[in-house]
Formats: sequence, structure tokens, C-alpha cells
Amino acid sequence: MGQIVLGVGDYGASNSPGDEVKTFALGSCVSVIFLDPKTRTVGMAHVALPDSSINKAKATEKPGYFADTAIPALLTQMTKFGCDKRGKGMVVKLCGGANVMDTNDTFQIGKRNALAIKKILWSYGMGAVAEDLGGNYSRTVVISVSAGQITLSSPGKPNWQL
Amino acid sequence: MVKQISQEELQKIVKSVPMLSPSASKLLQLTSKADHDLVDVVNLVRNDANLTARVLKIVNSAAFGLINTITSIDRAISYLGERIIVGIAVGDCAGKLFEKELSGYESARGDLWKHDLRTAIAAREVVTQSGADISSELAFTAGLLHDIGKSLISDYLQGSVTDAVEMITAEEGFDYLDAEEKLVGFDHTRAGYELAKAWQLPNELAEVILHHHEPSNASEEYRTLVYAVHLGDNIAMMGGFGTGSDSMRYKLDQQYTDYIRIGSKTLATIMLNVDIEFEKLKGSLTGSGEEN
Repeated sequence: MGQIVLGVGDYGASNSPGDEVKTFALGSCVSVIFLDPKTRTVGMAHVALPDSSINKAKATEKPGYFADTAIPALLTQMTKFGCDKRGKGMVVKLCGGANVMDTNDTFQIGKRNALAIKKILWSYGMGAVAEDLGGNYSRTVVISVSAGQITLSSPGKPNWQL
Repeated sequence: MVKQISQEELQKIVKSVPMLSPSASKLLQLTSKADHDLVDVVNLVRNDANLTARVLKIVNSAAFGLINTITSIDRAISYLGERIIVGIAVGDCAGKLFEKELSGYESARGDLWKHDLRTAIAAREVVTQSGADISSELAFTAGLLHDIGKSLISDYLQGSVTDAVEMITAEEGFDYLDAEEKLVGFDHTRAGYELAKAWQLPNELAEVILHHHEPSNASEEYRTLVYAVHLGDNIAMMGGFGTGSDSMRYKLDQQYTDYIRIGSKTLATIMLNVDIEFEKLKGSLTGSGEEN
């Protein structure tokens, strides 16, 4: 069984039934998950910031880092597994985007990440069917490719499914 | 089973921790003064053969990608910057504390050091990007040390994570500091402050350790520094580098806007710079050399 571990700003996809796609400790970062029922492919991007205009060079080197470059990059990656390049037929799920307690507008990066992602998904005619966003805790995400099952965990809480 | 730590026990724990080496201690004293001279830093390092060897090894490590080998300690220090030198000196003698597995927070070995390093880089970035009128080097050092108290109380918190999280969820306004205090009698800032006193750290660093979650309680003269570390700490957690169960479970002290000006775009730049700088430094600065 293979494991695809995605760090901050990474994205990846798999259609091998034994694989798990994972990302650890999402704070204000948001994990964008694409499940393609037709090809049984799972894709995920670990998005750190909403907008690539602050550093174009970083966006070229690591497109998964920013919401506006991560989604096109992940879709392109998934076409290698026979998925539709505009994401047609894919199931979209989002998680992460936590905030520290008593936060103010400036520090709500989690919320801004989620909003930016939704806006870009919208431009592709896509929308999330399930989301687990916000709160004051970090999340670890494990997706089993064979079942398309997404398990979330956070220290001190029982695991839950998305 | 979690048990309360008495004042006497806390003193015992503090005494069981290794002391800082004389050069690390002097470096912390020296570099926390606003008007110190780099020459004095160089002389301090030069007088400590082990530290000199470590600094030269690090500056010539692959992470810095130098074409020509640096063999003189003054060139190494001016290249690395004094904050890195302080980081190496503190990491060398207190490495075990930083590398400790924080099982009381369900946090793996090395997580604390990574969190501290991210906080240090973020605190420095907060100072430089906001133009705050304090030393960015000092903010870095303070960031490295801010959570040292977690190593002291972690063992006593074993098995408490679910309870701590439930307390915070159940009670409005309750954060992880409150949970620590309720569970073992001291929160990590109080425990860290006791160690800061035993290590005879300069006042500004001791104040950061004690007040980094509530900077408005710090004395006015150090408050900007404490806010810089407070924001750096939050930025480290937001970036996914907390220390397990307590990550994101603290309050942002809203009064920071009176001391530090950053907008959302600057904050995004800071978060990005922290990621870039962390990748560069993480291999060279670990206390026990685990990742070297």
C-alpha cells in the first residue's frame, strides 16, 4: 500500500486502489479534495494562501501553494489519470481553514483561503458537496483511494469522516 | 492519570534541566542589548572551540550552498547573522529540551523545535515587515525560547489531551493555558518563566516566555517584542506547525494593533517567507542534530 504525503503547497493524485493520500496538521491551510467516480481517482491540494499575486515565482515553483494556481494545477495533474480537464463529474470536498481563537479580520487566513477556493471552483462550474472548515483546531486528513473515504483527525477528538 | 505539580516540584523540575553553557548565556545577554557590537559576538564565539566548530560546520553545510569554504569565524558570523549563532549556541546546550517528545500534547519528537524555529522566523518577519522599532534579531531569539515551558510540564500532562480539548470546547473563553493550569496547576508560560529565572535570562526574554499568550500583561518597555512573538507563535500554528493538541487553541490578543501594524497582504507575505526561510534553516539548526 502506497502513501502519498502532501506537504504545504503540494498537490497530488492517485488511482491505485491500495494508496492513501495524506496531509498533516492543516492549520489555516485548506485541503481541496477531488474525487472522480468515473476513473476512481483521488486528488488533493494543500493550499496555504488565497492569492498568488504576492509572489509569482513561488506560484510557478509550487502552484499548489495558492488557491488560484492550485486548482488548475490539480485538474491538470488529474487529466493524467483520464479525468476531465474542467473537472466535470468530480466530487469536491474541502477541509481545514482553522483560525486561532478570538481572531480578527487580518488573521482570518483560513476563511480567506476557503473563500478564494470556492470562487475559483465556481469559475469551473464546480462546488463542494461537503466541507469541514473553520474552528480552532488543526486537522490531519487521510483519504483511501479504493473507498474514496476521507478521514479527519485532530488530537483530543475522535476521528470523523467527511 | 494527570496530577497537580506543586511549587516545590516545579523547582525540582527546573533544577533537573541542564544549564545553559556560559557562552550561550553570555550571547543571550549580549545580543539582547540594543547597542551591542558584533565584534563582541565574534569574540565570544571565538573563545568557545566547540561553538566555533559548529558554526563553521553549519555555514559550510549544503543548506547555504556556498561555493567557497568559509574558514574564518568572523566571516561565518557576518554571513549567518547573529540570530543563527544564538540559535546554534542555545540549541547545542538545551537541544534535549527542544527535541523532547511532548507526549502530554500528543506531539512528536522534534515538533517543539520546529514550532520554535517557525515562531522565531515569523517574529523576526513581523518586526521587519511591520517596521516595528525593535531588534528583529532579538525577536528571533525570543521566538526560539518562548515555549520552553512545554518541555517542563509535558510529562505531567500525559493522558490529558481529550480532557483539555473537552474543557476548551465546553467553556466559553477557555483556552489551552486555562486547561493546563486546571490540569496540572501551572501553564507552560509560568513553568517556562521559572526556567528563565534559573537560566538568568535577560528580562526581555523572560517577559516573552511569561506573557507570549497575553502580551498586554507584559511591562510596557518590552511589549512590542512580546507582541511580535505572540503573532509569530500564532503564525507558526496557522502554518501547520504547532505542538499537537494545543495548536490553534489560544486567543489572539487583539491589542497588538496598538504596537504592530500589519495588514492581511503583509501577513500573507510573512507566512510565505516563513515557509521559505524554514526550509533553509531546519536542517542546520536542530538542537541534537537529528536532521543534520
